[in-house]
Amino acid sequence: MEKDLAFLMPEIAVLLTAVAALIAEMLRKPRIAFAASVAGLLIATGLTIPLLHVDVTVFSGTFRVDILSVWAKLILLPATVLAVLLVRAELGGSAREGTAYVLVLMVTLASLLMAGVGDTMLLILAVLLSGLGSFALVAYPRDDAATEAAMKFFVFASVTGGVMIFGLSYWFGITGSTLLNETTRLGNMPVVASIGLFAVIIGLGYKASLVPFHFWAPDAYEGAPVSIAAYLSVVPKIGAIFALAQVVRDLPSELNWSLVIALLAVLTMTYGYLAALVQNNVVRLLAYSSIAQAGYFLLGIVAIGASALAFQSIVVFAAAYAAMNLGAFALVMQNGRTLDAFTGKGRSHPVTSVAMVIFLLSLAGIPPLAGFVGKFLLFGASIDAGFTWLAIIAILNSVLSLAVYLRIIVAMYKKADTTETAETITIPLLSSLVWFIAAAFTLGIGLAAQLILKAFF
Amino acid sequence: MFPIVSTTLFMPLLGALLVMGFRKAPAKLVHTIGIFTSGFTLIGAIIMWSRGINSTGFAQLEQLEWMPAIGAAYRVGVDGISLPLVLLSALLFFVTFIYSAKVRERPHAYVVLMLLLETAAIGTFTALDAILFYVFFEVSLVSMYFMIADWGHEDRQRAALMFFIYTLLGSLPLLLAILGMYLGSDPHTFDMRVWIENPPLTGTAAMLALIAMLFTFAVKTPVFPFHTWLPAAHVQAPAAGSVILAGVMLKFGTYGLIRFSLQMLPEAFREVGVVVLVFGIISALYGAFAALAQNDLKRLVAYTSVNHMGYIVIGVAIAALAIDPAIRATALDGSVLQMISHGLVTGALFFLVGMLQDRAKTREMDQFGGLLKLTPIFGWSFVLAAFASLGLPGLAHFPAEFQIFLATLQVEPFAIIVILGIVVTAGLYLKAISQIFLGEANTKWQGMPDLTMRELITLTPLLALIIIIGIAPAWVLDVIHKTTLNLHL
Repeated sequence: MEKDLAFLMPEIAVLLTAVAALIAEMLRKPRIAFAASVAGLLIATGLTIPLLHVDVTVFSGTFRVDILSVWAKLILLPATVLAVLLVRAELGGSAREGTAYVLVLMVTLASLLMAGVGDTMLLILAVLLSGLGSFALVAYPRDDAATEAAMKFFVFASVTGGVMIFGLSYWFGITGSTLLNETTRLGNMPVVASIGLFAVIIGLGYKASLVPFHFWAPDAYEGAPVSIAAYLSVVPKIGAIFALAQVVRDLPSELNWSLVIALLAVLTMTYGYLAALVQNNVVRLLAYSSIAQAGYFLLGIVAIGASALAFQSIVVFAAAYAAMNLGAFALVMQNGRTLDAFTGKGRSHPVTSVAMVIFLLSLAGIPPLAGFVGKFLLFGASIDAGFTWLAIIAILNSVLSLAVYLRIIVAMYKKADTTETAETITIPLLSSLVWFIAAAFTLGIGLAAQLILKAFF
Repeated sequence: MFPIVSTTLFMPLLGALLVMGFRKAPAKLVHTIGIFTSGFTLIGAIIMWSRGINSTGFAQLEQLEWMPAIGAAYRVGVDGISLPLVLLSALLFFVTFIYSAKVRERPHAYVVLMLLLETAAIGTFTALDAILFYVFFEVSLVSMYFMIADWGHEDRQRAALMFFIYTLLGSLPLLLAILGMYLGSDPHTFDMRVWIENPPLTGTAAMLALIAMLFTFAVKTPVFPFHTWLPAAHVQAPAAGSVILAGVMLKFGTYGLIRFSLQMLPEAFREVGVVVLVFGIISALYGAFAALAQNDLKRLVAYTSVNHMGYIVIGVAIAALAIDPAIRATALDGSVLQMISHGLVTGALFFLVGMLQDRAKTREMDQFGGLLKLTPIFGWSFVLAAFASLGLPGLAHFPAEFQIFLATLQVEPFAIIVILGIVVTAGLYLKAISQIFLGEANTKWQGMPDLTMRELITLTPLLALIIIIGIAPAWVLDVIHKTTLNLHL
């Protein structure tokens, strides 16, 4: 038991940090809550390093400390640090600032649990915990838009959560166990087992905003503060993707799950980018873009069990996605939410514009940026697994994605219609720090991918 | 051994970082940095040339571990096909920097983008790792997009977008093909030398990979009917952008055609060789006839590019079809030399068109007349470049096209109808020369200044090389021939 706890040190550190931040907030010391959150998350990241080459399950197989869950910590914990900096930059000084940090930490904890899930009960718990924190975060501003968004989010999550619990009961019925590694036995009753599979896909599909379970996402991101949208589009989403990977890795092939996931990938990528194409609100545009990016993750999931590249591609793309998406949102925070706000920024704000171009081109998958490396590995994994057609559709979608991201780039380098009055330039320090770090990672992951890949061999 | 290839490759990137560091530097200093950086790069390329190549495989190899887990590494080196192209790129960028020293609109960004483009171009030609190649191939695209979108003419946004989407759409199939080759190789690697040594794919897989690659390179070259982005991009691009686009970037397509399609998938290429040949013929003829119909001088030059690049495609297709290695070598010698000649000649022509537009603010040929008397140096320079472009013996295109036609006659005699293209280009250039430079001098252009010193310095190396390669091509051909003779296809 004590040994099991030792493997959970990072999660425990996050939990303690959340408690500390909560106490600080009760004492009305939001600054301390902020500092504690950042410090705690960094400590938790440090505590993860010794686990790098560990592959065990703890608490009788309910939680896995393996390559996926360790890398989830190494990606999500620093990503949460960046998100906390953004929250501070946007909501700092508001009435309930400290609660935002607490909720962010709880949702991160839930996402880490999802990424290492080894048991259906833990899966349900983690999804619910992540959901509860997320609703409150979306509703944080307490205005009409936020409340409506949170309400929609809540209803959606309740229904999909209920469906998931119902469906998982079938698996329990067949295998007599809640452990995920017992699901190899589902092959005996493929039809009933499929019901469970669909239920899991619905439950996690909503969390990862896969089409057709994505409806909440654009509204929630739009209603929420930008920093919260940035956070929700990265951390819980990657957690849910990793959870899906943990669920399907033991499933028997009789269920044809890879074909189902492949079809979802096509739907998600294509719909996401088509919808993004007509948005004029950059937050909504990035929301649909992050829906589409979730579809790319599925290319790696499809290949699980069939290609040695599967896990590495998911992890590398997750790291890339976290960096470029947080960076893009940080710059939306600085520039404004509408496409018009970006017009002519190429001339008036050359440095941040170059950074934005880097993030957008990386999202589109242009080499040598991080997004390219991730997508390249994902394409390779799905071709290796025999899904060449899926890789081709993904590549076609990359072209479509370019049209989406170029809309922002073209606007930035267009001449502004109005002659700008000399505005006083204040450099928002915290959000600038965030995009700077994100840009460094977006540029560097291509060169440093080896670090991640090496861990697999 | 000093890593001269990598030094040459990253020299421009270093210069770009330097310029980014001096954000307050005056325009003059920025352009000086650009000229010096590209000058050093040219010196590096000349040192590479002096070090020479091996008779088989690649020379001057430099490698560094990158992602050994998936068999990707930083690998660069040259052979007789890439070395002349490196030298050509370095030279064209150098004179382009001299020509552009007058740019006063956001000079920092301009120089940074051009230097980035130079690294991408040299990287594309020297990369021996497929991922590395693809990275450079795409980086060039991004730099060129901003080049057109920011410093182009009236309708630049649309042209830049069209260029970007077209060529990106075009290059994605190559990515698929690269992935296919990677998964087909055993052990998995992205090392292009291994792929050339032991073609990893056979049968249907090879054919699919070839089709994907042909599509990519056909867009880039461009081959009819994938050429429509080219006139739009050229017309809107600034003169310097046009020079690099035509002189260097179009070569990515034909270089890839030889390096990837021909060398890595020789069997499949042989099967569809005739189809490629026909596309080459149509492209060459279409380019010539379309050029004939233009009144805009820049569009005219742009379409002759389609024509000249068509000859290269024909040469490569003939090399694939030829059974006799000597004939194959002749066809490839011609094709590679044609790339060099086209870079020099079209580079010079686009500079000249740019100089004309700077003076007259128009490129419509019927607006001019009798310029030869007003601006003799400009006029004769143009006449020389135009004669070279139409393939006059003694000038750069002749030895290249001659070898391509010679090999064609021996392998697929029917294809020689393409020689019609030469007649048409001769006609259209004579028409252009007579409209612009001969006849009554239009009084409107009285007092038009002749070439300035800077413009002369820009043009002289190009024009000199056009004559040198025309009269004595052996110094380039020997290098090319050393490699083409020993390709085992």
